[in-house]
Amino acid sequence: MINKLLLLVFLLAFAVNGTANADVKTLVLDGSTTVGPVAKSLATYFTKKYGIRVTVSESGSGNGAKSLINGSCTIAAMSRAMKDAEIAAARIKGVNPVAHVIALDGLAMVVHPANPVRSLSKAQISSIYHGTITNWKEVGGANARIVVIQRESNSGTQDSFKELVTGKSMQITGGAETQSSNGAVKTRVSTTPSSIGFLGLGFVDRSVKVIAVNGVLPSVKTVKNGFYSVSRPLYLYTNGQPSGPVKQFIDLPNTVEGKAIISELGFVNR
Amino acid sequence: MNIGTRKILDRSFTAVGIGSIVVMALALMIVVVPIVYNGIGAVFFTGTVEHRKMLHAEFRRGDSQYLSSEVASSNRYRAKVYDMLTGFEAELETMAPEKKAEYQAKYSQVRTALQALLGPLPGDPEPMLTRFKYGQTRWEKAEEKLHDLLYESKWDNTNPNVMGKEYFVSRAIGFEGTSLARLFPYVKDNLENMLLPEFTFYWGFITDSSVDSHFFGGIWPEIQGTFFLAIGAMLFAFPLGVVAAVYFTEYAKPGFLNSMLRSANSTLAGVPSIVFGMFGLAFFINTMKVSESKSVIAGALTLAIMILPTIIRAAEEAILAVPKTYREASLSLGSTKWNTIATVILPAALPGILTGGVISLGRAAGETAPIIFTAAVSVGSAIGLADVFSSPTPALSWNIYNLASEHEAATQIRHVQYGMVLALVTIVLLLNLSAIVLRARISKKLKG
Repeated sequence: MINKLLLLVFLLAFAVNGTANADVKTLVLDGSTTVGPVAKSLATYFTKKYGIRVTVSESGSGNGAKSLINGSCTIAAMSRAMKDAEIAAARIKGVNPVAHVIALDGLAMVVHPANPVRSLSKAQISSIYHGTITNWKEVGGANARIVVIQRESNSGTQDSFKELVTGKSMQITGGAETQSSNGAVKTRVSTTPSSIGFLGLGFVDRSVKVIAVNGVLPSVKTVKNGFYSVSRPLYLYTNGQPSGPVKQFIDLPNTVEGKAIISELGFVNR
Repeated sequence: MNIGTRKILDRSFTAVGIGSIVVMALALMIVVVPIVYNGIGAVFFTGTVEHRKMLHAEFRRGDSQYLSSEVASSNRYRAKVYDMLTGFEAELETMAPEKKAEYQAKYSQVRTALQALLGPLPGDPEPMLTRFKYGQTRWEKAEEKLHDLLYESKWDNTNPNVMGKEYFVSRAIGFEGTSLARLFPYVKDNLENMLLPEFTFYWGFITDSSVDSHFFGGIWPEIQGTFFLAIGAMLFAFPLGVVAAVYFTEYAKPGFLNSMLRSANSTLAGVPSIVFGMFGLAFFINTMKVSESKSVIAGALTLAIMILPTIIRAAEEAILAVPKTYREASLSLGSTKWNTIATVILPAALPGILTGGVISLGRAAGETAPIIFTAAVSVGSAIGLADVFSSPTPALSWNIYNLASEHEAATQIRHVQYGMVLALVTIVLLLNLSAIVLRARISKKLKG
């Protein structure tokens, strides 16, 4: 009997909790893990300011695009532009993807802090990822086999890396290890002395060492003025021109508060 | 076999048995002890005045009068630090340009380390993100940050053939001869006075929502989401499973179709959970459109399909274990088949059915893969019962993975990760315990 009472109280507690915000519309964000920190922080701020609930999933840019096409998210966060095939698929389903650039992001090449290498050229990086350079000795480092770390095929960061550094058609070596998020790449690089990987600039901290590409180190300044060439815009995609709460959310990165959030997270304002 | 050999065999078998139990217990200890130890650290820890400031500002908790007296006393000690900073900044202006540039770079590192330790310094703009509004809230983290302030980590790359080695250089030496050199011993000696560490019991870790993607606050939305998903899965799977089991054991005629169905059920029990996740996305969300986006209902349905085979099997076994005499007695009294099942067989099989059900409930609570694409999000507030049809939810299993691997500052929030793991393990343990208790009670009732 007591058990049943307890259960009833428990369920009632949930139910009461539920009626309070039943009529509020929810914004659903899905997509890139790189945009993740920005999206999460903007979402928290947005919920606080407008009282509209926002949920954020980080499942990769490719998944974000798929979700938008299937209509299972309101806003897709992507760290690359939508591909032609994706836009075509969207049109078939009656979805009209509209891009909104919210920030810029440098793609930082990172190695373990113990690695003496400070700078690599794009050609050297390409050779490393292609598998023609396999030892750090060949690029002026210690005698150690290079552990190449890439992202999964779903990742916008991976696509950007290929487009900006190695060229789209280059085959990445089969020995490359795949990690499924920026955080996972960072953890792997910070624990493996001979590894190399790439991260969104906002994810870089002291556990990894950023190396210069073609002699330029990525920073807010060099990404913004374009000296650091391995950088890309970060997008939010909506279905058609946004209105109402969706528009309020999309406009957030252009406000003073939104800009402050983006720069505090280490990303680059447009 | 003579009696001597038999005794030796018997004893060695006992020894092997005891040995394997000991190995299992050790393995369990190795897994469980760190989880419990670190997990408890999320609730019981040495909190600093920054933690109490955060609680007061974000959750309106704590005695404001006591807090302001604490803040005042900590500020007395901090004021000296701030004075030293302004003093050094003035000194910087008087230096020769090249010397100034050299010190400026080092000084900005010192400021960053101090900000991490004490929160925003005077003259800093008010941060937008809550994570930068406070210094270290936990004393053990503060000690790490103090080390970062006192020592600079450098890498020794003198030997070009091997990877470098880390070594630490005291920052105080770098500022020798300037007014800032006094800062380092001062902070080291007075950190306790500036942060006022005291033993903290943060029960809010269970009942609060997270603040600024889990930097502060608690895990209530995740716990609630886990309950919703597991109980929702049960609401679908349990009745369906019991009905299916009754059909298999009582109504189905033995034959090709029946054996096919049974083996299909057994196969389904062995399918990896990620397959159910993909199926849930493709079927419930994209085809059936049970909800516009990911939602609790879609996740619960997916989990229900995943645990259904287990429930059917457990219920089947339980029904088959009911002695034949019960059925015969009931039928001989003139009862119908359906009446016999409903009033005699199912009650007798109930303990077994319930055990199977509750163990599946525990599995549903702990699974990650089926909810990745159907229900789980990394950030979202606690949802109410009315939102289960439209809203996705955070859930413990998924958020543990997300915080440990995808979060931008995964290494800084280890205590939250462990706290979540402990919460999940506890929930599953409690569910299993309740299954045992329930079973014992019902068996007793049936006997008595």
